[in-house]
Amino acid sequence: MQNAIYLLFVLLALPPFAAPSRAGETPETLIIRQALANDISGYRRADAELALKAYHPHFVAYEGHANSDPRAWTVLHENRDAFASQLAADLSSQRYEVTRTVPFIAVRATHAIATSVDSGRVVDRQTSETAPVVIHRFWTFLKEEDDWLATGMVADVGDTLLPAAGAPANGEIAELLQRESQAWEAGSGILGFFDANFTGYDALGAFKPASYKIAFSGSEELEKWLDKRLSYVQYDLDRKVLHTAIGPAGDEALAVTREKVAVEHVKGPAKHHQERYVFWTLSRRSGSWKITNMVFDLGLELSD
Amino acid sequence: MIAKRLTCLLLLGLSACSTTEEQVVELLEQMAANPVDSPAYQQSIDELAAIGRPAARQLIARLNPDLYLGENYREFRDEQEKLRIGCARALGRIKPRGATAALKDRITTAYTDRERIACLWAMGQVGYVQAGVDAAKVQLEDEDPIIRIHAAIALLKMDDELGTSEIEAALASSDPELAQTALQGLEESGYFGVPLLVELSSRAGPHQAALRSVIAQVKDQLVAQLEAEEPIHRQRAAQALGYIGDESTAAALADLLEDPSNQVRFSTAAALATMGRSRGIEFLFEALRNTDSILRANAVKFLTNVQQQSGAVESQLIAALSDEDPLARAGAAQVLGQARVQSALSALLAATMDEVADVRANVAIALGHIGGDQSRAQLEKLRHDIDTTVSYYAEWALGQLGSS
Repeated sequence: MQNAIYLLFVLLALPPFAAPSRAGETPETLIIRQALANDISGYRRADAELALKAYHPHFVAYEGHANSDPRAWTVLHENRDAFASQLAADLSSQRYEVTRTVPFIAVRATHAIATSVDSGRVVDRQTSETAPVVIHRFWTFLKEEDDWLATGMVADVGDTLLPAAGAPANGEIAELLQRESQAWEAGSGILGFFDANFTGYDALGAFKPASYKIAFSGSEELEKWLDKRLSYVQYDLDRKVLHTAIGPAGDEALAVTREKVAVEHVKGPAKHHQERYVFWTLSRRSGSWKITNMVFDLGLELSD
Repeated sequence: MIAKRLTCLLLLGLSACSTTEEQVVELLEQMAANPVDSPAYQQSIDELAAIGRPAARQLIARLNPDLYLGENYREFRDEQEKLRIGCARALGRIKPRGATAALKDRITTAYTDRERIACLWAMGQVGYVQAGVDAAKVQLEDEDPIIRIHAAIALLKMDDELGTSEIEAALASSDPELAQTALQGLEESGYFGVPLLVELSSRAGPHQAALRSVIAQVKDQLVAQLEAEEPIHRQRAAQALGYIGDESTAAALADLLEDPSNQVRFSTAAALATMGRSRGIEFLFEALRNTDSILRANAVKFLTNVQQQSGAVESQLIAALSDEDPLARAGAAQVLGQARVQSALSALLAATMDEVADVRANVAIALGHIGGDQSRAQLEKLRHDIDTTVSYYAEWALGQLGSS
């Protein structure tokens, strides 16, 4: 009943530039769609305030370099202020004549992900030169009170896997991820590596964000799972850090690991194992590095 | 003070016993921890099946891939597969009607063959649910014959014959796995599979001995089912035993002639009559003479089935046209007509002269059913019968004969 009233409120509150709704919409997806519509509307109207309404104070932007392989990704803006500065500069120098479609939204409790495709053209305000644009973005959202705010965005994520060499592993990040893998083997101390608002995903062997399933909506849910899981299984993890990237201020980072993970069960001899790629984002805003996103089983080529 | 101590003891006792939900969780972990079909894996299924319906909700939930997120996350696909197969097998033994909705969604190509087969098997075990029948029919189009045979067996268990040709093909094929699956499925199908089993065993083929062996096993199951609590099971078991026609089951069947359920008694009598047993035949003919129209209608229905299935009551039916009781004469005419007994034609023609209008009307109808030009002259006479019902049906029967 509360949801129905809320949905009604959302529908009534939608401004004329609201994105069209689709079958299967929920009150949550409508609000997320609206946040993304506000953002692009802000670009079109050169209204930074409108665009920034959709962004969380801890927002981090990553650059995808038109590649779905995160071994090519880097950290673009480490917080909302850094992003806002760039936005203001972009809006004053360029006019955005773009439209946005939002083909995918997935919500689990207080966490959500979405993909968007912006297409149109960007016009240089001084020279009137135009450049066509088609940008695929991947968004992460967190629900705070009744608002869904973007906590992360991979710009130009592309829709295909291109060659990606990966940057040499940063020692600090690599060491942290190795300690995290040891915590799994020890069966304790895992939770301390994770941010409270962490999101865990299972990519189910695919690489496109639209195929991700949100497995953990916050560290509380992860903790509940660990309590159950670690009573029955013992983990064995062999992790290799393939790629890391750290932001300009050194507060945000991302990483890609390749690992062999196996479990042995307490109640029988069965062993389950897999080799997988894992994508990580990490933040040092609380003082020490914490994992903010973790995508299991990314469908990257395992032969390299 | 004593009350306090008792309360403490009760609380201690309760906390020492795990809840059903916890028991199920432990058994599911045992399932995940052991290879499919290993003794420990099978033991977990057995114990879940023993818990029965209280476990069903948790088992149904584990069929759904969306469950394996959050606190129930399982990162290994083969671990999920193991749980899905085991839960389906346990559900197939518990047979909760509500499981079909979840099972039918797991028989598509999005799942592994082992998961699909386990879910198809469980759907069949749960029994008829329209959504399950519809979903299994779609799988009859699958390119893998193993999936098709499992779908066909599931349909048979849900009392749908659409997959019969797939079962026949499996038994005719040179693939031993297909044939074995078909044989095992026919055995598990119980009374639903008996008509097909009997039919297949009467044909030439490479599996005749195996089919006969399956019939023998099903026969034993059916005899045990004659004592089932639900009348429908007793009735269907009796009917199936009639199809099998094994004389050794006659004594067990005879006990059911006193069953409180009408349908069970009639099915039993029909089964005995099919075997040529006088007790069954007498029961049905006695019912044909009963003043209760419902019993007479049942007698007509079951005698028709017996006659069509075995021809075992043909001479008695013809003789009954001369019975002194007009109810028996009218009923016999109905059965002979519905069973289209050509050899009864001359006796029926003679019965057009019966003194009782109701008998003449039923004879006219029977002649219409049987057809043939020999009846035309007698039916023309009946068309002018003093009884309007008789003349009406004579007119109808002549219409059935067509123009001369």
